[in-house]
Amino acid sequence: MASPVFLAQGLRKVYHTGEVDVVALSGVDVEFHEGELVVLLGPSGSGKSTLLNIMGGLDVPTSGTLDYKGWSLTHADEKTLTQFRRSCVGFVFQFYNLIPSLTARENVALITDISRDPMKPEDALELVGLGPRMDHFPSQLSGGEQQRVAIARAIAKRPEVLLCDEPTGALDVTTGLTVLEAIEQINRELGTLAVIITHNAAMAEMADRVLHLSDGHIVKTRSNETRMPVRSLQW
Amino acid sequence: MLAALDRKLLRDIGRMKGQTIAVSLVMACGLMMMTTTRSLIRTLEGTRETYYQTNRMADVFGYVKRAPLAAADRLAEIAGVAAVEPRVVVDVTLDLPGVDEPATGHIVSLPEEKPQSLHLIFLRSGRMPQIGERREVVVSEAFAEANHLQPGDTLAAVINGHRDTLRIVGIGLSPEFVFEARAGETLPDNKRFGVIWMNYHAVAIAYNLDGAFNDFCIDLAPGANAATVIEEADRLLARYGAAGAYTRKDHASAARLNDELRVLHALSVAYPVIFLSVAAFMVNAVLARLVRLQREQIAQLKALGYSSRDVGWHYLKFALVIVVIGTIIGSIAGRFMGEWFVNLYTIFFRFPALDFRMDWSALGLALLISSAAATVGVIGVVRQAVKLPPAEAMRPEPPADFKPSWLERLGFTRWFSPQFRMALRNIERRPWQAVFTIAGLALATGLMVLPGAMSDSLNYLLTYQWNMAQRQDVVVFLTEPGSGKAFHDLEHLPGVVTAEPVRSVQARIHFGPHTRKIPITGTPRGGNLNRLLDSKGNTIVPPEEGIVMSAKLAEVLGARLGDEVQIEVLEGQRAKRTAPISGLIEDFAGIAAYMDLRAIRRLLREDSTINGAYLTVDNARWPDFMREIKDTPRSSIVLIKKEQLAAFRKTTGQMVNTLRAFYFVLAVIVAFGVVYNSARIALSERNRDLATLRVVGFSQREVAAVLLGELTILVLAALPFGLLFGRGLVGYILSAVSTEAVRMPVRIELTTYSVALTVVLSAAVASFAVVSRMLRKLDLVGVLKARD
Repeated sequence: MASPVFLAQGLRKVYHTGEVDVVALSGVDVEFHEGELVVLLGPSGSGKSTLLNIMGGLDVPTSGTLDYKGWSLTHADEKTLTQFRRSCVGFVFQFYNLIPSLTARENVALITDISRDPMKPEDALELVGLGPRMDHFPSQLSGGEQQRVAIARAIAKRPEVLLCDEPTGALDVTTGLTVLEAIEQINRELGTLAVIITHNAAMAEMADRVLHLSDGHIVKTRSNETRMPVRSLQW
Repeated sequence: MLAALDRKLLRDIGRMKGQTIAVSLVMACGLMMMTTTRSLIRTLEGTRETYYQTNRMADVFGYVKRAPLAAADRLAEIAGVAAVEPRVVVDVTLDLPGVDEPATGHIVSLPEEKPQSLHLIFLRSGRMPQIGERREVVVSEAFAEANHLQPGDTLAAVINGHRDTLRIVGIGLSPEFVFEARAGETLPDNKRFGVIWMNYHAVAIAYNLDGAFNDFCIDLAPGANAATVIEEADRLLARYGAAGAYTRKDHASAARLNDELRVLHALSVAYPVIFLSVAAFMVNAVLARLVRLQREQIAQLKALGYSSRDVGWHYLKFALVIVVIGTIIGSIAGRFMGEWFVNLYTIFFRFPALDFRMDWSALGLALLISSAAATVGVIGVVRQAVKLPPAEAMRPEPPADFKPSWLERLGFTRWFSPQFRMALRNIERRPWQAVFTIAGLALATGLMVLPGAMSDSLNYLLTYQWNMAQRQDVVVFLTEPGSGKAFHDLEHLPGVVTAEPVRSVQARIHFGPHTRKIPITGTPRGGNLNRLLDSKGNTIVPPEEGIVMSAKLAEVLGARLGDEVQIEVLEGQRAKRTAPISGLIEDFAGIAAYMDLRAIRRLLREDSTINGAYLTVDNARWPDFMREIKDTPRSSIVLIKKEQLAAFRKTTGQMVNTLRAFYFVLAVIVAFGVVYNSARIALSERNRDLATLRVVGFSQREVAAVLLGELTILVLAALPFGLLFGRGLVGYILSAVSTEAVRMPVRIELTTYSVALTVVLSAAVASFAVVSRMLRKLDLVGVLKARD
């Protein structure tokens, strides 16, 4: 088997809030591989977002190690993490976090301007089916369209990893499916490792692997023989 | 027990303490100016009224050549006259130990047969001269302080040609010398000018005026008409050489005090208006942001059953807390500043006691005005917030509506980076916010121009007045007009290089309904020492026919170049004639009128008389000249240019430095406050955008550049307006503080502008630094996961 994209060993994260210590991750060992589509399932507070944030360089672990393609992210400084985010990771959040003062195309260009080998913003938008609406401002786009702009923005720099935190959380079923299709398509066509956080168990069927988290542990891992097409998912 | 909603208020304020303080401070600046100026007005007006009343300041003043005391009795009989005090008033030369230059003693006689009825002396120390004592005197306080004189000391004076030693028995003050300076002098020179009160007989006999008077003052009965009394007094005294009576309005000391009050009144309105407008905007911006942020909380409050009014009042209270903090700081600072200014005033104005009186009504008014300003700033925002149905408000706000900026619509798009486009579109989306930020910064820049411009104007004035116009070293005036021989004597004093004769005469100049009483000075043709310069700096030579006057005098009279004015001489034959205005002088201190020397003499039907001379003196022989002039019996007033200049620089220098520091502090507060507030608002409005940028890989510095880029555009846009505003403000303030006594020319040097720009830019950079630090602490994940 090829070496993993991410290798986490004994990953632990403790938040100090006031006088209480909250253990968000308590000794997680996990690998993520190139081209995989992984779904993280689990109730609120189970540690899935913490895991995703550490993988994305938005946070650092309290203890344990995390390697990205053989590079250690465990003790990376702010500058290295910025560089890591800039070139290797694409993020998609529940709330699309587009810059309202920039058009769809410009929102994507914001990233392509600072990346080394980006797609053209137009190509990235075509990929998520938004070619005809690329000169619209966020206020002129529907929720699903805004989320697809966010995906286009995330993948325009050709990241190795696409991290999605509840990407359909704010969307209705039909729109949510469109967005998942876009993510699945990116994963399939570009070979990008895609990790999706969700509460929605139905989405597990589209993944290669499903990790169940609870109380900061991975409590169950399931691999699907075949990925179910997004359109056939139901919830 | 504090209501839950009020606890929320306190915590909101705690969270936004930086902005709360910034807005409160700007508000405090306006309120401070208001309390300071209004309290100073109250202090000066109140003290003046009490002093004038208690020590019986006269209403009408005048002098004559020589009138018998019986004439004073007739003055007392004029209808409307309550009291008359006839006096002998003369200027003498004083020889002070340790001072080379002669000083002028302005002797005022004290009645011996009865107590003083007007201008009662307030004794600071010592006692009044004893009846019949010829050498005992009381001297004025400012003069005594400047020369370290105390009761028991002696004073050498040349009284009508005889050297005499006077014994100081008291130090005193009089309501007629609140501003203690030679008539027409712009600033006091207490070292070289003092008032000396001595017994009537001592001075009257010395000047051959026993049984007579040459000066009088009149107290009017309540409701009496000053104009008719003056007319009657002038008529009665005409044959005694009356020079025309005048009211307090034209009284040198009283007029200076009036001028100062007029200036304060103007400033007490202008400054608060400017500062409070900026503060009102800042309150609006802060509250608007808070309400937008708390859109969901508002919805929840309403869902819980709070009325729109409750919610509105909750946010209005936030504004009122800012007002209260601003008012407290403003009034404490105002009181402090006021006391400081009162101390400064004692340099210029002498009262028995000048105690700061706080104008509490100003405080009430300030509270009212700033509450109103804050309410106006808040009301629209709150109304919008409470109007929204709760269910709708609880949904996340849709993305803000944007469109390409007009620069892009004009086709400049391709030159702009996405960051620059964000900045432009943000500015264009909230144009009023941008306008007010620019206005606030322009105000700060303008305020910074002011102190520098004051120094620049003063320097120009001094150079102009003392180097270009007045080129003599000394002006000597004689006690009595003298013949050609007198001029010959002055010309041959040791060290005199050049001398030019002067003949001046008291006159009234009439034009239409306007009249001014003023000395007209005759200067010789070809004279080069006291040059009359027009606004372009060209020398004006008074023609044979015609009068040259200060542009300010023409303005006061409502006359223009070429207009014929009526001249009424108030001495000798009291000749009358008309003369065209043949030149207007650009001068900055006092008002003056000049004629050709021969024309004056013809008017007076005199031959070669003089009553003074302009002299230049060889520096090497300066001590000889001084020694000789002190003993010249007929010289009464000697004005030494470099001494005047030094005194002027000392007094105004202190004043200007004080004001400079003061405006500097105000400008820094406003500049920092406005930029900081705008930056904080921008940070909170765009934290989601900025966090997104950080997440996708922008560095700290790049993200800061996005946030601060927009503010930088505003700061840079504000600077030119600021300089223009500063120029206007300087013009306004200088014209407000300009009086007949001093007119400040508007001159602003390049360095003054540069300093203003530097200070404002530094304040902007400092607040950028503060906000950048906050940016570093931004919780990336938290912001992105939160619903806006």
